[in-house]
Amino acid sequence: MKKIALICCIALIAIPVSLFAQGSAEKAPETTLQLLFYSPELQDQYTDMVDAYKAETGVNLEITVLQTDFRAVLTSKINSGDIPDIFMSSAYADNSTYKDYVYDLTDEPFMQNIEPSVLTGVTVDGRVIGYPFLVQSHSFIYNKALFRELGLDTPETISELEATARKLEAAGVQPFATGFKEFWVLPQTAWQILAPYVDTYGGFEAFVNGLNNDTLDFADVAEMEYVFDVLDIIGEYGGPKPNESDFTDQTASLAVGKVGIIHQGNWAEGSILSVNPDVELGFLVGPTAGDAEGGIMFDSNQTIRVAKDGENLQAALDWLEWLTTSEYGKNWVPGKIKQSSPIKGAAAPDSQIAQATSELLAQGVPGYPWFYQMFPTGTEQQLGAIFQGYCANVTDRAETIKALDAAYDKIAGAL
Amino acid sequence: MNLHQKRQRTSFLIFLSFTVPALATILLSVEIPFLMSVIYSFTKWNGLDKIPQFIGLANYIEIFTNDPDALYALGFTLRMAAFTVVFTNIFALALAVFLDSDIRGKNALRVAFYIPNIISLIVIGYVWRFIFTKGFDSFYEMTGLGVFMFSWLGDKDLAFFSLVLVRVWQQLGFYLVIYIAGLQTVPKDLIEAATIDGASPVIRFFRVTLPMIMPSITVAVFYSLSNGLKVFDVILSLTSGGPGNATMSIALDIYRTAFITGRFGYGTAKSVVLFFVILVLTVFQVKVFKQREVEV
Amino acid sequence: MRQSRISLSITVILTIIALIYLYPLFLIVINSLKTFAEITINAVALPESPQFSNYVETFKLMKYPNLFLNTLIATGIGVAGVVLVSSMAGYKLSRTRTRYSWVMFIILIAPMMIPFHSFMIALVKVAKVLHLTGSPWGLGVMYWGLGSPLALFLYHGFVKSIPRDLDDCAMIDGASPMRAFFQVILPLLQPVTVSVIVINAMWMWNDFLLPLLLLSGSKKALTLQLAAYNFFGQYKVEWHYAMAGVLLTIIPAVMIFLALQRHIIKGMIAGAVKT
Repeated sequence: MKKIALICCIALIAIPVSLFAQGSAEKAPETTLQLLFYSPELQDQYTDMVDAYKAETGVNLEITVLQTDFRAVLTSKINSGDIPDIFMSSAYADNSTYKDYVYDLTDEPFMQNIEPSVLTGVTVDGRVIGYPFLVQSHSFIYNKALFRELGLDTPETISELEATARKLEAAGVQPFATGFKEFWVLPQTAWQILAPYVDTYGGFEAFVNGLNNDTLDFADVAEMEYVFDVLDIIGEYGGPKPNESDFTDQTASLAVGKVGIIHQGNWAEGSILSVNPDVELGFLVGPTAGDAEGGIMFDSNQTIRVAKDGENLQAALDWLEWLTTSEYGKNWVPGKIKQSSPIKGAAAPDSQIAQATSELLAQGVPGYPWFYQMFPTGTEQQLGAIFQGYCANVTDRAETIKALDAAYDKIAGAL
Repeated sequence: MNLHQKRQRTSFLIFLSFTVPALATILLSVEIPFLMSVIYSFTKWNGLDKIPQFIGLANYIEIFTNDPDALYALGFTLRMAAFTVVFTNIFALALAVFLDSDIRGKNALRVAFYIPNIISLIVIGYVWRFIFTKGFDSFYEMTGLGVFMFSWLGDKDLAFFSLVLVRVWQQLGFYLVIYIAGLQTVPKDLIEAATIDGASPVIRFFRVTLPMIMPSITVAVFYSLSNGLKVFDVILSLTSGGPGNATMSIALDIYRTAFITGRFGYGTAKSVVLFFVILVLTVFQVKVFKQREVEV
Repeated sequence: MRQSRISLSITVILTIIALIYLYPLFLIVINSLKTFAEITINAVALPESPQFSNYVETFKLMKYPNLFLNTLIATGIGVAGVVLVSSMAGYKLSRTRTRYSWVMFIILIAPMMIPFHSFMIALVKVAKVLHLTGSPWGLGVMYWGLGSPLALFLYHGFVKSIPRDLDDCAMIDGASPMRAFFQVILPLLQPVTVSVIVINAMWMWNDFLLPLLLLSGSKKALTLQLAAYNFFGQYKVEWHYAMAGVLLTIIPAVMIFLALQRHIIKGMIAGAVKT
């Protein structure tokens, strides 16, 4: 027991000493930038970039990659004054969420190298306050070889989608893997189905403004029925446990040929190919009803923000400049991450989905913005949970609409 | 200053020297942050804006008049706590009776049942998520039993029982130890006397043993109740509150409100309510159980 | 004879129950030795050929030795502090029967009722002011106040079973109250000290949310739980690595527990009896 007491005493003395020692170690001459990112599926690419930057400039980057708790950690860090030098966020609504803390990039010369079209999501009152990192696309990914083998056409309408699902099922293939367990999968799909009809309500901005100031409710949007129709089809043809399927299940099932179609974005390609590198992937347009023209989601959302009051502001800007103008930096997104880069004249990524995306856009298929990111921060997960409740038969259509409106108004009113 | 006062002062100083370290650490780690949170609960604040806006009782009024989700989470938490408390304590006590008796290998068995309790809840949740999805699929292929094809995490009623199962599985060992400890306080001669009087083992248990271990039951129910009302990690990793919001506990709702929907002031108001719920229920429980102890 | 046959059959039945009880953990072990494709095909089959490389890979990915050390530091500092401050306070509060002592006792154990989630943001703010974020040492210090209320409660109850005469004896010998406590009383509190160490060490070793809030953002300082958690990212779960990561995370705790289980369970039992 004496020993325990002694150890306690030593520990108590050792702590302040070690804290002090650590404090002085931090003042070492070399710069270390703190980065807080999400998308853990890009961990390897992040690490590769960190090594390259260290080799070229001697500057250390410490990247923490989170997913589920990303927002909680970022909030508590900002709140306690421990702001990372560089952090990620969504575009659109997050512009105002982090307005007090982010650096205005408008006058940085390297921003001239970014495609102006992808800057919409990060521009507020003419000022650019974020760096678009990736241009991503989302729609329905299908197994091309399987479709060819079964002689299936690519569906474009909701009824064709259901017919295709029926044929896949008849051929012994599960039509969809649902991903309903993930809160973010449902809204992405739901809002894509709605996107073609938003013009009826004056376009994306007017639509969101209407929702925000409560002049428009989801109850007024008749086309929400199409969203439910599609979710019903996916659920019905989505295997025996549609509410337990997650992203891993979606990508693995598509890769091994267990399912024919998943609703996912181009970011899924890496995970699919890691299970089966030989799978042939295609991209369907979002199914529509009536005369509307189906499109895909195509926009930059993942945004890099620079903390404006950080000690390392200049170093952070230097890094962004390097990312935009150096050989490695320009090649990083298309070459290593294999997604589309927002940098002018960037190489096309060696990716099946990216290629399919460009082909569809070249044919004149509409590419819709991530308009639901204009919804107030925090709605994505909340509304996702409500859609999940619909898919699990917790609520019916009318109740779901009501819940969507209630949740939306509450968050919009509170912020 | 007379001698008495002086002595009193010295003893007070000694008292302080023993208790102030604990007071300082607890103030810093719990009570000051909690009081700060109480202040935030009267504000409209997203956790990021530099100045929270004071709005009086509006947050509290909203919880009780305009937030069906929060009230649902309250009901869910109470239901889940009730089930876990009952099952955990019954199973733990039953096992303890066997593992306190003179059987071979009881030490190894105690260790076996204790092991899940050494693993973090967040990891436990992921492990079970794996079993409910991948594991059950494989079981189904092997056995063809329909029970493995039920959507144990995707159906709102089944998900409730899955959570209770995992929770009880994880914490059983801890309560087992508390009950074994309790059983060891029961005087052997009392049991022997009852045996000589011709009482059957069942009667012995209910008439002699159970009343004697009431203090352990009070403690075990108190721990399991207050932990049950705070349930968070296992839900986060097993169902994330889904499907829909069907398995949303109060603690998870607080976390979501504060960090995901960015209503920090409102979230802290909910946490103050949770504090009072736990306080009232556990005080009530301890009171009721203590009375029974006295009667014996 | 009959008695021992019954006892043997109880042992057999309980052993079967225990095996079923531990089956989930067995599943982690076998799946940690499979390839990802094998897991996708059948999660309960034994691995075709054990992939020990999963462990090597995970060991490297997690930077295991570093994480192990961090977790050990945070847990060690945390447990030592909790034992020290709560045994002192628990003892003195149990011995002092005055109004201010009662008030102090209530103030010190009240936090047992406060859910952690209700004050965690503010806690991070306090930790930041004290420069306790971003290092396992600081994390350990923050545990002191979080672990002390329960520990203090346990000590407070246990001290009653120790005769007051002992205090007086020590004092008469001329020792200062503090010295008397550490030399005479604290050793007598050993059973409850064991429970306090076990309960707190298990909790701190396994804790997730506080390290997440205090340490993430400083890679050097991550703990094992955080690293294991990173394998279960929201996007892609690489089950084979995740399972290996889970095992690497829990093995130290299980080994320590198995090595010391006699003392631990006995200590917990002794500690629980008196409270």
